[in-house]
Amino acid sequence: MTAAYEAMFRQALRIRLAEEKIAEIYPSDKIQSPVHLSIGQEPHTAALIASLAPGDQLYTTYRSHAAYLAKGGDMRLMFAELYGKASGISKGKAGSMHLCSPEHGLMGCSAIVAATISHAVGAGYAFQLLGRKDIVVSLTGDGSTEEGVFHECLNFAALRKLPVLFVIENNGLAIHAHLAGRQAFSLEKLTAAYGIPYFLSPDGLDMPAVAAQTAKIAAAVRGGAGPAVYEIRACRYMQHVGVAQDFDKGYRDRAEFEAWRARDPLVREKALIEKFRPELDREIAAAVDFAEKAPFPACEEVLKDVF
Amino acid sequence: MKTMTYREAIARSMRGALEKNPRSIIYGLGVTDFTGIFGTTLGLEKEFGSGRVFDTPLSEDAMTGFAVGAALNGLYPIHIHIRADFMLLAMNQLVNSIAKYKYMYGGLFELPLLVRAVIGRSWGQGAQHSQSLQALLSHVPGLTVVMPASAQSVLDTYEYAATKARFPVISLEHRLLYDYSFNLDAGARPADPFTSRLVREGRHVTVAATSVMVADAVNAAKFVSEKAGIEAEVIDLHCLTRPDSKLLLDSVRKTGRLIVADAGWAPFGVCAEISRLVATSDPGLLKAPVQEIAQAHSPCPTAKTLENHFYPDMGTVADAICRLASGRKDHGVELPSADYKRRLYKEFKGPF
Repeated sequence: MTAAYEAMFRQALRIRLAEEKIAEIYPSDKIQSPVHLSIGQEPHTAALIASLAPGDQLYTTYRSHAAYLAKGGDMRLMFAELYGKASGISKGKAGSMHLCSPEHGLMGCSAIVAATISHAVGAGYAFQLLGRKDIVVSLTGDGSTEEGVFHECLNFAALRKLPVLFVIENNGLAIHAHLAGRQAFSLEKLTAAYGIPYFLSPDGLDMPAVAAQTAKIAAAVRGGAGPAVYEIRACRYMQHVGVAQDFDKGYRDRAEFEAWRARDPLVREKALIEKFRPELDREIAAAVDFAEKAPFPACEEVLKDVF
Repeated sequence: MKTMTYREAIARSMRGALEKNPRSIIYGLGVTDFTGIFGTTLGLEKEFGSGRVFDTPLSEDAMTGFAVGAALNGLYPIHIHIRADFMLLAMNQLVNSIAKYKYMYGGLFELPLLVRAVIGRSWGQGAQHSQSLQALLSHVPGLTVVMPASAQSVLDTYEYAATKARFPVISLEHRLLYDYSFNLDAGARPADPFTSRLVREGRHVTVAATSVMVADAVNAAKFVSEKAGIEAEVIDLHCLTRPDSKLLLDSVRKTGRLIVADAGWAPFGVCAEISRLVATSDPGLLKAPVQEIAQAHSPCPTAKTLENHFYPDMGTVADAICRLASGRKDHGVELPSADYKRRLYKEFKGPF
């Protein structure tokens, strides 16, 4: 067991435990913000981000707790933000869906599917023009590839050979709609049409595989090879939004989830869980305590920072 | 007095932005072609390089979001739409991302950028090449919307935007103004160009106008002054999202009569907004109901005869000034003839 693996595992477990804490608090209504949990998808997020350089930027979506924590965001500020407190990342104006941590390169999360892909392309252009050696990662779900702007972005990034890595987390679901009913195209063939290399990790739970793949792709993008598309298959354990599971609603197959969970390192690797759990529980408890005690924003905040 | 066309002022401002702000970039469909956005970006690619001045694919949505990522990383993007109508393809980015980026993240980010969009008119531009969308854009908190109505206004506003402003600006330029020559330094020049301007002083009627209607209002004011001794005060609203309400209310306090002349539709638009401003501040200032001058509330028709009914002109403004000053529809002042107007207006010859 390498130190790098343990670090990724610890990060993934940290995210899962933090989100399980969110689920535990949620019924109290102290968090009044739609939460889109990443449970089941944390391993690949932790592995992906562990394989990037600190200066690399990330633009992602509303399902962003995992990316925020893995990129280095402060957990106390995140909980305070979810609580709508003045001490939150964005003074309680962002909630769960718009996390950011500019000092760690997480430059924004949008509740509009695919809206951040073009932001990543603009950032990549700035990096190229200014001679910056970092890369930009656009992290979105499979649904985002159906938006027209995804095609516009692939085209421009390919035209200009921009240092942008488009990561598609494919959990097969867009809210409740299955991929087969949404896509007449193959992502691999679409990507090929733009002359962009395509990579696939069929199992996002396989952290070493995701980490190795990411390192390889990121090195090529960093080296000036132009953009790449990287699909990571995963399973969303929970409902689209909220803190429960919804297998009883009849739109998805519990057996498929069980098959993923049976391979889940955050379930199987008991020794590592035991090793890290106590300190992670303490960090989470401290973050919740910070959020509980933080003040609410003052009324005059409502008109601040509009322009 | 030195004069300059609106087109030349824009061209100078674009070059000035590239010279004065080494992080500025200019892009958009047609920016580097032989027409150079009606001559406002000609030669810039050659001089400043294709990294800073470039043409784009037909991808308004992506290229608007592109400005977000570029601005977050220190560039000053100037994105140009040769027709304002094309900007509608980018409303998701303008409204959902750009307008909210500072607020939604609690002030952690700023997005200094400029979007230029050209409003078409005349020679059959029709329903999708002519829209004045200032009201739609100004409605959204977080966007700063300007409609430069003179060469000086262009020079002042664009220089400030490219070198000092830390917020996203949408500028709606009017194609009809491009060939107009303006006296530089004419009228009051506010220190911060993102507000309104007093263009002409008068004591009988206040005309608050936007874009090409400012020129119409000034021409109308001169006409009624000569023909009927009526003195209209003309205010160029210019920055629709930051109108100078003191300037406006002080003027209405003096005249008691207000015309709002907007190059757009009246309902839910600038006419409605300026009326709201007066009504909610001091409605007792008004000695007569507000007169609104706007486009017909329909899509823009193509046929010239219909287009003439769709757009108001300086004759419409002159008539409104006389009616409001006299309190009568049959004010008896002879309105400008077709010949008189033809001499004033630079005839725009198409196709674009």
